[in-house]
Amino acid sequence: MSMHTHVLQLPLTAEALRSIAVGDEVRLSGDITISIGLPTHKRMLEDVQAGRELPVDLKGGAFFHLSAYLEDQPGGGLPRALYMNPSTSTRYNPYMPGLISGLGLRLVGGKGGLDAASVAAMQATGCIYLSFLGGGCPLLSDAIEGVVSSHWNEYISQFRLTTLRVRDLPATVAIDAQGHSLYDSLQQRAANRLPQIREALKREREQALNASPLNRLEK
Amino acid sequence: MIPQALIRSVSAALYERSLKKIPDDTHAALKKAQGSERDATGRRTISIMLDSADAAAQRGELVCTDVGIPVYSVKIGTQVRFEGAVRQAIVDGFADLVQNIQPPILKMITNPLTHERSYAGKDMPLVTFDVIDGADYIEMICAPKAMGSGRWEELKTFVFPSLETIEDYVLEVVMRAGSQPCPPIVVGVGIGGSFDYAARLAKQQVLRPVGEVNPDPMLAAMEARLLKAINAMGYGPMGTGGDSTAMGVHIDYAASHGFMPVAVALNCWINRRMGARIGNDGSVAWFE
Repeated sequence: MSMHTHVLQLPLTAEALRSIAVGDEVRLSGDITISIGLPTHKRMLEDVQAGRELPVDLKGGAFFHLSAYLEDQPGGGLPRALYMNPSTSTRYNPYMPGLISGLGLRLVGGKGGLDAASVAAMQATGCIYLSFLGGGCPLLSDAIEGVVSSHWNEYISQFRLTTLRVRDLPATVAIDAQGHSLYDSLQQRAANRLPQIREALKREREQALNASPLNRLEK
Repeated sequence: MIPQALIRSVSAALYERSLKKIPDDTHAALKKAQGSERDATGRRTISIMLDSADAAAQRGELVCTDVGIPVYSVKIGTQVRFEGAVRQAIVDGFADLVQNIQPPILKMITNPLTHERSYAGKDMPLVTFDVIDGADYIEMICAPKAMGSGRWEELKTFVFPSLETIEDYVLEVVMRAGSQPCPPIVVGVGIGGSFDYAARLAKQQVLRPVGEVNPDPMLAAMEARLLKAINAMGYGPMGTGGDSTAMGVHIDYAASHGFMPVAVALNCWINRRMGARIGNDGSVAWFE
């Protein structure tokens, strides 16, 4: 796979995403909004469908499944984000197509990808999915410049709707705006390879069993 | 005599260490994968993984924000005497950790009926106890479990399954998880026993150091061929493509009946675990 590195500055136009392909590396700067709350997603989608404004303007923006520890400051004011890291995106599959098209999101992400309905919404909208390193907490957190806003603060830290300013946040493009999903193609490739893999397993199993005088598990 | 306060402080320390440093064997396995990985995206991802793990260890930071739920395995030597309560010591140790760890951790403990999250909950921490006959020490292992790998673990009960059926099931579970459990993963397999016992065997196998060869030649061969099979699937580091989908497949079995459960446990690439041996004389030796 040929890889390119794209230095992206939010906000982004749909045109800016056209030259970006799965497998490419991204360094992202600008304001990103994050949450890993299921109640948050439900509430966001209800607001979008009812035509209500979200507390933060996400139109054409970036919304990621990143969890952050927000340290509230004594006397109020903006909290401090101590660290962040991605979460598995697939559990938000039911909400994402509506959020992607309803908000015209340009960037979504987390880890593990999204399903076919989201990929279709992304292609129609002009949106890419970024895979962040799970277990990449120290490096991803280095990109945090500060908290821009924190809404729905009645939720626990990682469920809030939080906007962070980041600089040079590293990620891998895993679903592009042309409808290519690394997750789908890899799953398809694994399924295609399975008959051969099982054949090889069978050969090796028989060799091992023939070499062993005791066939304990099958006796 | 092992005092309650010592078990309490060791419980807290085990959890913190497991969150901030990946085991040496796991680091070595990732280095090895970096050398053999043919996919450019995969190689880049492994090198960022190593950077992240090194940065966390050097700076005393968390490797992952999902600190999971606290899970402890405790083995008690039969020659050991305790002063105070063992289970309460672990509960208090975890509470101390929540209070004192820097940076602070997120709320992950979730009531399964209401989905309410906090830093404590019914039966938390999860602790299993075992005995070591004749030993004058206890062994504690803390292996926090989070959603990334935890949600893909499975158990299925078969009737007189062939080896082929068992191996196919392992592949099936790994494929269902696909890109999502933060590969390269460690796959622990428990075969036979009973429903609960198979799950426990699988979990114990996940905790086995990566690269350690199974002393049972039949299982060693099974582990080697399954590892090869999984790494031929192509999910790769973080599931964005490559040869490095698993670092190890670890298998154990127990005699069973005609019904034979097969449990498959998974750990993500940071492979969190930390152990300590506490002597009856109050000495503490750490191990991974």
